[in-house]
Amino acid sequence: MGYLVTLAAIITINFFLPRMMPGDPLHALVDPSSPTYVSDASMRGSLASYYGLNQPLIVQFGSYLNGLVHGDLGRSISENLPVGSLVVGALPWTLLLVATSLLLSTVVGVVGGIHSAWRRGRSVDRGLLTMFLGISNVATYVVATIALIVFAVDLKWFPIAGATTPFSNFGAPQQAVDVLYHLALPAIVLSLGFMTESYLLMRGGMVTELGSRYLLLGRAKGLSDRRLMYAHAARNAMLPVVTLVALQLGVAVGTTVFVEAVFAYPGIGGLLSSAIGSRDYPLLQGCLLVLGVVVVTGNFAADKLYRRLDPRTVAA
Amino acid sequence: MKRWPKLLRVGLGVLVFLGLVALLAPWISPYDPTALSGQPLEPPTLHHLLGTDDLGRDVLSQLIWGARASLVVAVGAAGLAVGVGALVGVTVGLIGGRTDFVAMRILDVLLAIPVVPLLLVVVALAGPGRATIILAIGLIGWPRFARVMRSQALTLRQRGYVRAARGFGGGLVYLLRRHMLPAMAPVIIAAFVATAGIAVGLDSGLAFLGLADPTSVTWGNLLNTTRLSQEGLYASTAWVWMVLPAGAAVTITVLAFALVGIATEPRTNPSWSRGT
Repeated sequence: MGYLVTLAAIITINFFLPRMMPGDPLHALVDPSSPTYVSDASMRGSLASYYGLNQPLIVQFGSYLNGLVHGDLGRSISENLPVGSLVVGALPWTLLLVATSLLLSTVVGVVGGIHSAWRRGRSVDRGLLTMFLGISNVATYVVATIALIVFAVDLKWFPIAGATTPFSNFGAPQQAVDVLYHLALPAIVLSLGFMTESYLLMRGGMVTELGSRYLLLGRAKGLSDRRLMYAHAARNAMLPVVTLVALQLGVAVGTTVFVEAVFAYPGIGGLLSSAIGSRDYPLLQGCLLVLGVVVVTGNFAADKLYRRLDPRTVAA
Repeated sequence: MKRWPKLLRVGLGVLVFLGLVALLAPWISPYDPTALSGQPLEPPTLHHLLGTDDLGRDVLSQLIWGARASLVVAVGAAGLAVGVGALVGVTVGLIGGRTDFVAMRILDVLLAIPVVPLLLVVVALAGPGRATIILAIGLIGWPRFARVMRSQALTLRQRGYVRAARGFGGGLVYLLRRHMLPAMAPVIIAAFVATAGIAVGLDSGLAFLGLADPTSVTWGNLLNTTRLSQEGLYASTAWVWMVLPAGAAVTITVLAFALVGIATEPRTNPSWSRGT
């Protein structure tokens, strides 16, 4: 229920925000310095009425909602294509990129956190702590730029741009390899910013768990360190990380804009930055809406998953 | 026990240095950062210690003046976000009841909107001025603090001295000024420092995507990816003196704010627990 209210609010904000800002939606068509300038006044007028921009806001909002219900997100002003199809085409790439990155960051962070906590206070712990603190504060766009130059342009280990090799005609297995090959560098770059939080959370959780008696029992039973670490303590300490990943999803769909811009990745982020450049209101709305929905869905899923993982929260 | 933890000393040291650079920019910068003081893309020499950019402007001078731009955004945006957040959070927490409930639901909604895309859209639509960027970062950042501040207020208002002050007829403004805000000062300072660092990163990020005034002298403009890729600078060696120092400057500043933030954080964040 709360999620539905949030969704409704996001739709409303998405609609009104661009309209509260200065800058006419037809600015690019009306501004004499713009290459798409339409000099004929009646032409401009008919364009405005074609896109419904001369109607009262509330009428525009009504038709926007009506379209939304029918799966119609409007028509992109700059691309002259349905926003729905543009967004649907871009969304899988963004989801793939974000999901891979969060998976990567969580695995690295969790494993780092486990080992750090196991040897807390020793040099391994201090080294990992310093390393993760350092990583978390390098801006993603700086890392992305440097990674692109060093690993793609200079060393040629990775492709420079895009998500697939253009004009290629691969079979399915090569296609998958090609996609992964293009995905690797952007995903690693994006994941760097999210490792530290899961590392710290995991480390903190593990430190608490390590004092538990069940571990003492496990040790008395003769279980190996590995088993105690991973199968016993880590399982209990992992719970908050699930919530964290959902929260990180909200941040990651934002950060991905930078990564997609640098690597020319064909996701929502790239779409968003091009929509900003052309003041393409319907496309902007579409991108913001989709990102908002992704975040809300992620939070919802995490909530449900958390209840499954930790039965104690159902009673509460 | 050491009074000044190492993290705090390092962080503060860097920030003081940056502050001095920003203050003394007109005297220590070797050239006018906007003047065409050399050939385009000159490699570092004694005349231009960090070379020149694609237009022939001195990179070092731009870095020095960029410190000023970044710190202004940091202080302005963080002040705004923390100020509004603290005011809203504490007031709502103190009033409680229905107001609190409604305000929290509104905050939930605001927090569910992804920050960076929202910021990009707002700045793109409102125009690339420095003041706009400060306002946008500040106004998008405050709900996060309102949350923290509210929970602080909820605990504080149960404390004996606050209840006593209420019992003696202390009004909302009096309570805020005399009891709540001073008691929350450590949290507010930590929040301010943390936001300042984020603001520096976001500000340069906007310029990086080409969403800043290209004539302004900022670190972000040196990193502007559209310009760099359009001019093919990624494939030249110029990035070593153009991109790397600006990226390092952003990173060091963000890191310094983060270190001070961690050191001043009054142990409200369990993920930072150092263990036993």
